[in-house]
Amino acid sequence: MYRYVLKRIAFLIPTILGVTLIIYAVMNITPGNPGLAVLGPGTPAVDVEAYNESIGYNDPFLIKYKNYVKKMVVDQDFGISYVTKQDAFKEIWPRYKVTLALSFMGVFLAALIGIPLGIKSAVNQYSLWDTIPSLVAFFMAAFPAFLLGLILLYIFCLWLNILPSYWQGDLKGLIMPALAISIPPAAQNFRFTKSSMLEAIRQDYVRTARAKGVPERQVIWKHVLKNALLPVVTQVGLSLGTLICGAVVAEKIFSVAGIGSLIVDRISFKDEPIIIAGTILISICFTLVMLLVDIIYAFIDPRIRAKYTRTKG
Amino acid sequence: MKKVLAFLLAGLMLLSLAACGGGGNSPTPTPNDNPEEKVLHMRMSKSLASTDWATTTNTSDMQITWVQLFEGLYGMDEARGGYYNLLAKDIQVSDDGLVYTITLVDATFQNGDPLTANDVVFSYNKAKEISRFNYVTSFINKVEAQDEKTVVMTLDYPYSAIAHTFWSIKIYSQREYEEVLAAGKEFGTEPHKAGTGPYYVEEYDVASGVKLAAYENYWKGAPEIKKVEYRVITEDSAAVIAYENGELDYFTGIPLSDWTNVEKAAGDNCSLAKGNNIRFLAINWQSPTNNNILGNENVRKAIFYAINKDDIVAASTGGYGQPAYEYMPADYVATSPNVKDGKFTTYDFNLEKAHQCLLDAGFTEEQIAAGIDVGTVLTYGAPTAEKGKAAVVIQGNLAAAGMKAEVEVAEAANVTPRMYAQDYDIAIFGDSGNYDYNNIRQQVHSESVGMYLVKYKDENSPFNWQRIEELVDLGVATSDVKTRYDLYTELWAIIMDTATILPLYHNPEAIAWSKNITIDVVNPTYYHITDFHWAN
Repeated sequence: MYRYVLKRIAFLIPTILGVTLIIYAVMNITPGNPGLAVLGPGTPAVDVEAYNESIGYNDPFLIKYKNYVKKMVVDQDFGISYVTKQDAFKEIWPRYKVTLALSFMGVFLAALIGIPLGIKSAVNQYSLWDTIPSLVAFFMAAFPAFLLGLILLYIFCLWLNILPSYWQGDLKGLIMPALAISIPPAAQNFRFTKSSMLEAIRQDYVRTARAKGVPERQVIWKHVLKNALLPVVTQVGLSLGTLICGAVVAEKIFSVAGIGSLIVDRISFKDEPIIIAGTILISICFTLVMLLVDIIYAFIDPRIRAKYTRTKG
Repeated sequence: MKKVLAFLLAGLMLLSLAACGGGGNSPTPTPNDNPEEKVLHMRMSKSLASTDWATTTNTSDMQITWVQLFEGLYGMDEARGGYYNLLAKDIQVSDDGLVYTITLVDATFQNGDPLTANDVVFSYNKAKEISRFNYVTSFINKVEAQDEKTVVMTLDYPYSAIAHTFWSIKIYSQREYEEVLAAGKEFGTEPHKAGTGPYYVEEYDVASGVKLAAYENYWKGAPEIKKVEYRVITEDSAAVIAYENGELDYFTGIPLSDWTNVEKAAGDNCSLAKGNNIRFLAINWQSPTNNNILGNENVRKAIFYAINKDDIVAASTGGYGQPAYEYMPADYVATSPNVKDGKFTTYDFNLEKAHQCLLDAGFTEEQIAAGIDVGTVLTYGAPTAEKGKAAVVIQGNLAAAGMKAEVEVAEAANVTPRMYAQDYDIAIFGDSGNYDYNNIRQQVHSESVGMYLVKYKDENSPFNWQRIEELVDLGVATSDVKTRYDLYTELWAIIMDTATILPLYHNPEAIAWSKNITIDVVNPTYYHITDFHWAN
């Protein structure tokens, strides 16, 4: 099992290299001029070119890429932001933590809302406990996060006046954005849990357990849920990765200083150090989350664990 | 084992929630009667890129660095137009207009150092190294300190628009600036006390905002408002909600689509001023599109006559803007040609004239009915923002007059280089922020560094570019208001006759403030927090 984990961690390296290569290639072909964006319109073309030259913007693609990877690996240097002239990593890291916190809160809320409702709905199929949540989930799965964010702002700020309208650096300010980004994945969790539970409920071993007189509560929690959890765990893990990337909408609406909004803002300046460093951190997180999902899988499902455990003769 | 793991994972998640808290030390604004502790809450639409005035290029940053932190020899009276003495107590000009002798006020920097002539010399020499300020420093030959409080500035040629230079170039504390560089840092990346302004930066976080503290020994008197906090609220709708929720004390750049709601919430504490920010339409007479159709003067005139500025004002500004006819509002700038004098063509909306111009250009009724391709209307910003809307309205106006045009809206960083390289057919752009008519130089003079979208000077040019450039140079060589007015009126008449640049509308400046404060003078863009007072 440990070998499996170490192998997956080792895979991070080619993954990150692949991500940097793709990002560099994309930045290379997209239009834009960091010199003009940073120095402002009206700057003579010769000075714009001199600035671009000084930051290595005009270097050939492979040379730029090689220099960047070398600095990243040898010096742990992600470069200096073209816009703020500050160390890119130092600028990104606090915002990265905020996005992670927001995403984890979102995933937690999505699981807290979606999974219990999915279980209840599956156990009480065709009842009101099933119909109403199913309809709401159907609607909320497609509801845009930005619209939800604005509605929450109106309700909790203007109407009820119990939450601040913008993030002020504390946990209270993350409640609404976390709620806004958690609703669509909560709907997905609900649907996944419900269908997974229904599939497990129909299995022969469940009928056998009931026939043997096992209490219904025990049948659901001990037999059905455990087997239904596997796809749900995958869904929750995937949703964390999606939320890390997709939290930018909530960050914009609620003025959360997260990494998504930072990258979006700096794209128009072609601030490559920030964009690339931010993307690398997001991809590392996403990969680690997938690894965590796989590890959890192995603990939940003894069949998967057995595959990676050596049998002692 | 599995239960332990489940609890561990749940605990990790809870830990992550707890870990993200505790960093904030900015509670939701609560009423506080102690004026020393009260905080003025302001909004920034994007992060403050730098605390150095010389490297801030957008208006929201300049509102902080150019007004609250740093000062120049002159200030700008945005409310009434024009400039006034600030750090320059007195300025004497030699008869030939080449030598300016400037006596400084008794001011100190926020670090306690007295303002001296050496600081002014240092700041101007620094500004001359920055190419972005060429348009206000290129004519300066040298700046020298005559004594501790006297600066002598020598020009290469007389330049009557120098007031804008005195406003644009801010004064650093030379000592503080050099100390930062000696420490191996970039000036502007950290809080400093290198300005003479009423506030200094107490905390600076690129991500979330900036906190200012009042400079108690400010030379005009300690500001009443002691603490100012700017938070980054990028989304306009969220900023409106924050204002309505009482979380913002002063709100600029209000989206006009929300003006009605804000006005209701603000009551008397709001203002919708005619801005100095004007949107223009430019036509590239050299465009190769459709066999250089835009090289035909009658086609260009047809385009101008087809444009309904009232439609554009309604769509782009929600009806709150005003059609524009001048390069700068004549009510703000004394030397600006005035539309009321009737001395230049205004191309008022007239479909019949547009039609006639197309016929004069040689097109038949059938061709006009089928639609004549005049290229693409290019602009920058979001497609749903005011310039994007203006482009769509213009497309509709042209279609009604028998002309077909596409619309292209993209990021400013991509579009503006194309405009300056004359790689466009028809373009919408903005120009503003200056109260001297000489600013027109950047649009019409070939040697300018700025918004030279229409290339008047060219070997094949049909325009009297020599006279255009001569009038620009003559206008800045004299300080007589009447003479400058006459020169610029002739200049603007020539420009309008070329049918290459058309003012479209004034973008209004919408501001609102809370009941927590009163304001002496409402300056639409470059507000002075020293004009704000806590309401009783």
